[in-house]
Amino acid sequence: MDAPLSDIAPTAVTRAGTASLVPIYALLVATLIAAMLVSATVGYRIYDLGQLWDALFHFDGTEAATVLTNLRLPRAVIAPLVGAALGIAGVQVQTLSRNRIASPDTLGLNAGASLAVVVASSVFGIGSLAGLSLTAALGALVTSLVVFAIAAGAGGLSPLRIVLIGVTIAGLGQSFVQIILTTNEAQLQNLLFWLAGSFVDRPMTLVINCGPFVLVGAVIAFLLARPLDALQADDSTATSLGVPVGLVRIGCFFSVALLTGAAVAMAGPVSFVGLVVPHAARRLVGLRHDRQIIAAALVGAVYTTLADVAARFVIFPLEAPVGAVTAVVGGIVLVLLLRRRIA
Amino acid sequence: MSHLSTNLAAARAPTSLVVLTVACVLLCLSGVAFGSSWIPIDQVAATILGAGEKTQKLIVLQLRLPRVVIAAIAGGAMATAGFLLQKITRNSLASPGILGVIDGAALGVVIFLALLSDESNALVTSIAYQPVAAMVGAALGIVLVFTLSGQQSNSAIRLLLFGIAVGAVFKALVMVLMLIGPIYRTSQAARWIAGAVNEINWSEIQVTALLLLPLLVLSLVVARKLPPADLDETSARSVGLDLPVFRIVVFALAAALTAVAVAFVGGVGFIGLMAPHMARLLVGRSVYAGLVGSFLLGALMLVGADLVVRVLFSPVEVPAGTVTAVIGAPYFLFLLMSRQRHDG
Repeated sequence: MDAPLSDIAPTAVTRAGTASLVPIYALLVATLIAAMLVSATVGYRIYDLGQLWDALFHFDGTEAATVLTNLRLPRAVIAPLVGAALGIAGVQVQTLSRNRIASPDTLGLNAGASLAVVVASSVFGIGSLAGLSLTAALGALVTSLVVFAIAAGAGGLSPLRIVLIGVTIAGLGQSFVQIILTTNEAQLQNLLFWLAGSFVDRPMTLVINCGPFVLVGAVIAFLLARPLDALQADDSTATSLGVPVGLVRIGCFFSVALLTGAAVAMAGPVSFVGLVVPHAARRLVGLRHDRQIIAAALVGAVYTTLADVAARFVIFPLEAPVGAVTAVVGGIVLVLLLRRRIA
Repeated sequence: MSHLSTNLAAARAPTSLVVLTVACVLLCLSGVAFGSSWIPIDQVAATILGAGEKTQKLIVLQLRLPRVVIAAIAGGAMATAGFLLQKITRNSLASPGILGVIDGAALGVVIFLALLSDESNALVTSIAYQPVAAMVGAALGIVLVFTLSGQQSNSAIRLLLFGIAVGAVFKALVMVLMLIGPIYRTSQAARWIAGAVNEINWSEIQVTALLLLPLLVLSLVVARKLPPADLDETSARSVGLDLPVFRIVVFALAAALTAVAVAFVGGVGFIGLMAPHMARLLVGRSVYAGLVGSFLLGALMLVGADLVVRVLFSPVEVPAGTVTAVIGAPYFLFLLMSRQRHDG
């Protein structure tokens, strides 16, 4: 019953020839590097680039160097990694479900991860960040298996079915989270912060542990870019083009599970990135998936990095949850894009 | 998409609707029967019809029945709103939860709790004004979405995206307010957001019913013109079904239904998403059957959820909204799987 994807920036397709894309990518990469440098140096205390250089290459144990290497650098690396993962996952989910308002949340993975974390911390008393990260990743993994199994039992990963099963499982997960939170007030405040998503106090080991999953997920997405182009039309068109529709969907689903699982393990459920970034990416580079994926990765990375910087100042000196900032910034940006008819 | 099983469902639609109605009445009666003291269902029915002794009358008519009635009409209204939205946008993810209305209402409630609490976290005004705050917030959400979208409100996907954007901003503000507020206020807001059927009196029900009735009648009127589900945008336009004005009317109608429903029971958005899909699987694609089926299923889900939280968690007051998915989801997944290969 879903409408065909007819109203997505048709101008961008014709506008974006291959040659014209290089400046766009270059600009995005430059912005990303700048954003990461800002993220590493600006915050409660502001450091200069010289101190960053020293902390990186001539570590001398001063307070500045310690803060930079232990607190700032991990955030400056984790934020873009999470944004890129969610951006790529979002592109795939929106094509997989042929629905422009779908996002990685739609598949229920974030809700599953949240439920796992809430249960782990309120029932088993797990409080360490490493424990919560592992729990979140496991929760996302188990949820993806459940969604996949139910979809397979109901006849396969068709666009409508994957969305319906995903939102149902998401609703179920959120239900249990709410039951636990409303009956356990002591945990509420603690968990609310985790549930909003944050990059605070993440160790570098998270990058080493989760980075490979993001990489594998991204590579799979990129390899599936051509078949995804065909899937944008309807199934029979894709089949007649020789695309193994079922296999491509399974591959995509696997990639989305890896990307979202890694993201939620690193930062908690950061909402809205996976929904809004694909719209911006399509506007920039058109509908071809190889381009969309690269653009979504870069846009997502810039977006979360800047949101993370903003999160340090919104309710200064406290830190706002980055999920709240991505939603506010993303919401406003989406409205602006839409009003100028370019989303 | 094969329509084999929805055709089958359509053939059984009258039977299904009768069964749903009977189930709804029975569940409402049980909703009144259960509580701190058990009252047999026949006595419940007799008391409602005017018999019964004084204390029983008080319990049934003043304490339990209002709660069940508000759950039924709010759940039904929410489901109706979801049905209209999914039809008019032809998007299976459309629901009252993404129009900016529920998040607007949540923001209204959180600000109400934040502004009108004193240092010891006691409300300085009556909690009876909370629904007013919710409705003001909801109205703000609707107005903002329509103002921002301007002329573009004639495109379904764009209007949805505007709704999502506004809703996301509101939701983030709610989150920040909850995080920086004291714990008592936070948990009170969390209850509202989850959706709780609270104590309610008949005059509040009268207001709700007076507001909802014309909206529901209007829904039946516009239902006749709703485009067939499988028509794409261009064909709909070519047969004259895609009138921008009509689309705005349906959106506004759905938003109004949602605003009134959430004012008293909070954010039970899941019902609006799920009930219409269940209705499609149960009674087929006919618009009238779908509309009535959605209303009944929405009512069933919220009355059932309220009953479950009262029986299972009593005396702890768990918000009913938290278990709507627990009740609805397994049944929906069962429906999806038992009609496999036909309805995806």
